Amino acid sequence: MIVIRNPAARKLLKILIPAVLMPLAIIIGVTLLEQKNYALVATVVAILSLLLFAAGYEKKKTGSRRMVIVAVMIALSVAGRFIPLFKPVTALTVITAVWLGGEAGFLVGAMSALISNFYFGQGPWTPFQMFVCGLIGLLAGALSAPLKKSRLLMVLYGFVSGIAYSLIMDIWTVLWYNSGFSAELYLAALLSATPHTALYAVSNVIFLWLLAKPFGEKLERVKVKYGV
Amino acid sequence: MRGFGDYNPIAVFVSIMSCAGIAMFTLNPVMITLSLVGAVSLWFVRLGTHSMKSHLLYAAMLVVLPLLNMLMSHQGATPLLVINDNPITLESLVYGVLSAAMLVSVLYWFRSFSRIMTSDKILYLLGRISPRLALIVSMALRFIPHFGRQAKKIDNARRVMGLYREDNIVDSAKGKLSVFSILITWGLENGITTADSMTARGYGTAHRTSFSVFRFRRSDAVLTAATLLLLAGCVCGMAFGGGEYACYPVLSGIPWDVCSLIVYVCYGLMAMLPTIIEAEVKIRWHSLRSTI
Amino acid sequence: MAQLEIHNLSFSYSERAEDTVSDISFSVDKGQFVAVCGATGSGKTTLLRCLKRELTPFGDLRGEILLDGMPVSQLSDKDAACLIGYVMQRPEEQIVTDKVWHELAFGLENIGADQQSIRRRVAEMASYFGIEQWFDKSTAELSGGQKQLLNLASVMIMNPEVLILDEPTAQLDPIAAADFLSTIKRLNRDFALTVIIAEHRLEDIVPDCDRMLLMDKGRLLYFDSPGTAVKDLHSCSELLDSMPSAVRLYNELTPNDGDIPCPLDIRSGHEYISRVFDSRITALSLPEHRHSEHPALQFSECWFRYAKNSPDVLCGLDLTVYSGELFFILGGNGSGKTTALNAAAGLNRCYSGTIRVFGKKLSEYKNGSLYSGCLSMLTQDVQTVFLRPTVREELEEIELIEGFPFDFSAIMDMHPYDLSGGQQQMLALAKVLSAKPRLLLLDEPTKGLDAQSKKRTAELLRFLRSEGMTIVVVTHDVEFAAECADRCALFFRGEIISVDTPHRFFSENSFYTTAVSRMTRGIYTGAASLSDAVELCRANGRRDRE
Repeated sequence: MIVIRNPAARKLLKILIPAVLMPLAIIIGVTLLEQKNYALVATVVAILSLLLFAAGYEKKKTGSRRMVIVAVMIALSVAGRFIPLFKPVTALTVITAVWLGGEAGFLVGAMSALISNFYFGQGPWTPFQMFVCGLIGLLAGALSAPLKKSRLLMVLYGFVSGIAYSLIMDIWTVLWYNSGFSAELYLAALLSATPHTALYAVSNVIFLWLLAKPFGEKLERVKVKYGV
Repeated sequence: MRGFGDYNPIAVFVSIMSCAGIAMFTLNPVMITLSLVGAVSLWFVRLGTHSMKSHLLYAAMLVVLPLLNMLMSHQGATPLLVINDNPITLESLVYGVLSAAMLVSVLYWFRSFSRIMTSDKILYLLGRISPRLALIVSMALRFIPHFGRQAKKIDNARRVMGLYREDNIVDSAKGKLSVFSILITWGLENGITTADSMTARGYGTAHRTSFSVFRFRRSDAVLTAATLLLLAGCVCGMAFGGGEYACYPVLSGIPWDVCSLIVYVCYGLMAMLPTIIEAEVKIRWHSLRSTI
Repeated sequence: MAQLEIHNLSFSYSERAEDTVSDISFSVDKGQFVAVCGATGSGKTTLLRCLKRELTPFGDLRGEILLDGMPVSQLSDKDAACLIGYVMQRPEEQIVTDKVWHELAFGLENIGADQQSIRRRVAEMASYFGIEQWFDKSTAELSGGQKQLLNLASVMIMNPEVLILDEPTAQLDPIAAADFLSTIKRLNRDFALTVIIAEHRLEDIVPDCDRMLLMDKGRLLYFDSPGTAVKDLHSCSELLDSMPSAVRLYNELTPNDGDIPCPLDIRSGHEYISRVFDSRITALSLPEHRHSEHPALQFSECWFRYAKNSPDVLCGLDLTVYSGELFFILGGNGSGKTTALNAAAGLNRCYSGTIRVFGKKLSEYKNGSLYSGCLSMLTQDVQTVFLRPTVREELEEIELIEGFPFDFSAIMDMHPYDLSGGQQQMLALAKVLSAKPRLLLLDEPTKGLDAQSKKRTAELLRFLRSEGMTIVVVTHDVEFAAECADRCALFFRGEIISVDTPHRFFSENSFYTTAVSRMTRGIYTGAASLSDAVELCRANGRRDRE
């Protein structure tokens, strides 16, 4: 087992592996597979990354309190849907990631996606969706210092990741349906989803603008109180 | 005696994922038909003909998606008619039909999957991979209804304290947000009791095992082995070029060589297995009941 | 040799702070049942947590805790987790997983037990505790009593030698609480399980326990058999208030009365009164209760159900509460009393019948005018009303009513969730009252409160009534009702069965009544609360001793 001592290097690797692995594997898959099943490749990569993450997480010792906090945040992001027109998943993922680190962020994103699908139905998109949501958290964790400092940046991140999430999921859908990329279809999918995407991004912005700080303070207090 | 849905989650998972997985990446009309028949029949045999309305959406997809594809994709060599200088081709129509059927069949596999795989079964599967992740999900699943009820309580408590003014959207949205805010505090603060309760019961003292009420019986092993064998047959056959089919530039015609036949037989058996198991149990129950 | 020995145990949360637990020594034999008593803040929770290694708070711990002669700090992680079981107050929050069977298995999973042995132990536990019926259910579907029983079973599955319980029944209704306590007693009897329990509800425990551990301000007051421990408590009124009625009566009348033993339960209490006190005067002369003629809250023929096809919860409810009254609604679980309260507050809409508040139909209050200066309600879970991170900010938002009989200054900078149950209750009430209601509805205001906080709540209610407020309280707590109600009503199957002043109400009920009323039955009539009984005994005087 290779141990990387430098924490900065370790952190960088954690981000690089999924972020580089993913497009790399897609490129390889595309050149090797004749039928150009991008969606298959993307799904396989997503599953592999999730497994990798699970294995890493399983090895670590995580205190019960940290686990409870993460479970609470997951549950809140799923239960928060009782507010009409409002999906707090991304916002809560970002907040958790910023205050509790990228790993917790990844967990909240990925597991909220999985659990939401308990209610809305699993599909072939589940692994990919988990992966993308997790990635949003992981990246937010890596950027936690600047995000924590500036409310504007935090909101921007929420906005961008909200839109990026929709764009990427649409790409996946098109890839799967068309077993190859079709710009027209993609555009059509994007257009049909625009009101939804816009609403999602705007609700992210409002949510993060209003509540990122108070929620962060709550997490901070609980961290101190629990000794996490 | 168990229906397909009552088999061990691993067996069910392997079976449905194999069926859907193969279907997702083929355009061969025979295989897509098999997948569609297998998936839809499993749904009906398992859940009967009630809630027919929910099928309308899928039926609509079968009609709308080919039309859309025809209008948007102008590949293919055989124009049927030309609109505004854009040819509508036979190939794009066939492609649309096939991919729509594929889509619907996969969605049906996953519909059955979602119905059969209740949260505890998913947790069981997750527990095989990572007991710790399974625990987090299990905890979150416990919190969700708990939080839902608490949100209602908070909302009521605030209402009867006169904190809401009615007939005002901004006010009520603000109210909902503060309910959410209270809920977060409440969840996090009271979570400490949960954490204590975990520690008190030895959490973190040893490597966790993952207990489950699901047993892996012999019939589960048989089903899983059969599925995997058939899957291997399919994959091998396809690796040797069996069942290949392309719509563009011209329809390639359905292949009927030996390799393809192997793929069809294997896939057909695999796709019909769930329905057969489910139907067999239903029939046996029926005859058993009549003798009681 | 004693099973559990505690030598000179002291604990402080930090080096500089005062000791929360100071210099406590006692030892417990295997199979003993120990009741730990003390007012809130006496350090009993800290003491109990010190006994369970995993839950010992951060701070400075001195002294020694030996389990079977072995210092607890030297036990292996697994033994420490298994040998001492710990059950806490809130049933809901102690549950970790989403399914009953998984919750049972949780502890064994943690110590890495294999499938087969978990399967067996889970089956065993489920049958012993009668959990089989709801084995497959989600934990979210269980009632409070079932949840706490599940918590107990999931601790017992680890085969503990010592079971520690910290106010396990505080959040349960009386029936569920009695069930739970009898299960504990059964475990103690059947398996010689050592039990150490802290409880507010001592009425059920004191007669059966082997030892009582009385704490005051972190110090050990008594550690003795119950008869001896509670004999002379007259000087510590806080502790005395939490004792069973018989003990309180004895201490009020004849503390440490030579050879007369202190009665612990109803039966011996009855014996004690009839032997020691005369019974010439059998009833107190009480002024007739007068209520004003203006109805504050009126139900007429109200019918309600939660869903189209569910059973009726309110079945033609008729009730009038007059303005200025302190009105108590009592009744069993699921009798519909909380539903009625919610209906009065406009949260439940009756499908037939009308509810009038100060003569005006509920439906005529538009745009929340019902809640501004007219009606206010505090629901059971008081934490639902806290929004701010400190008490100060909570109070800045509102206008504290004049003469509010509680001083918040000592707790201004604390987080509302860090307050004790009683303090939270006061803060929540302050918030609710800031809307200046004329009609106040309270749902279970004494749930989980210690005797001291109950007393304070009673004072507050009396104060509010003297200010002219009408108050309707829904509660299980008969003792509390007997103490402060003007009138009481019994709710049963969706309607009111009887309404009367507490003295008549409780003396005419034979089962649904206070401990004092049961204790004085056949000797005096109309004694509902402790002060009634004390007054009667004093008026009669002692029998001449032969």
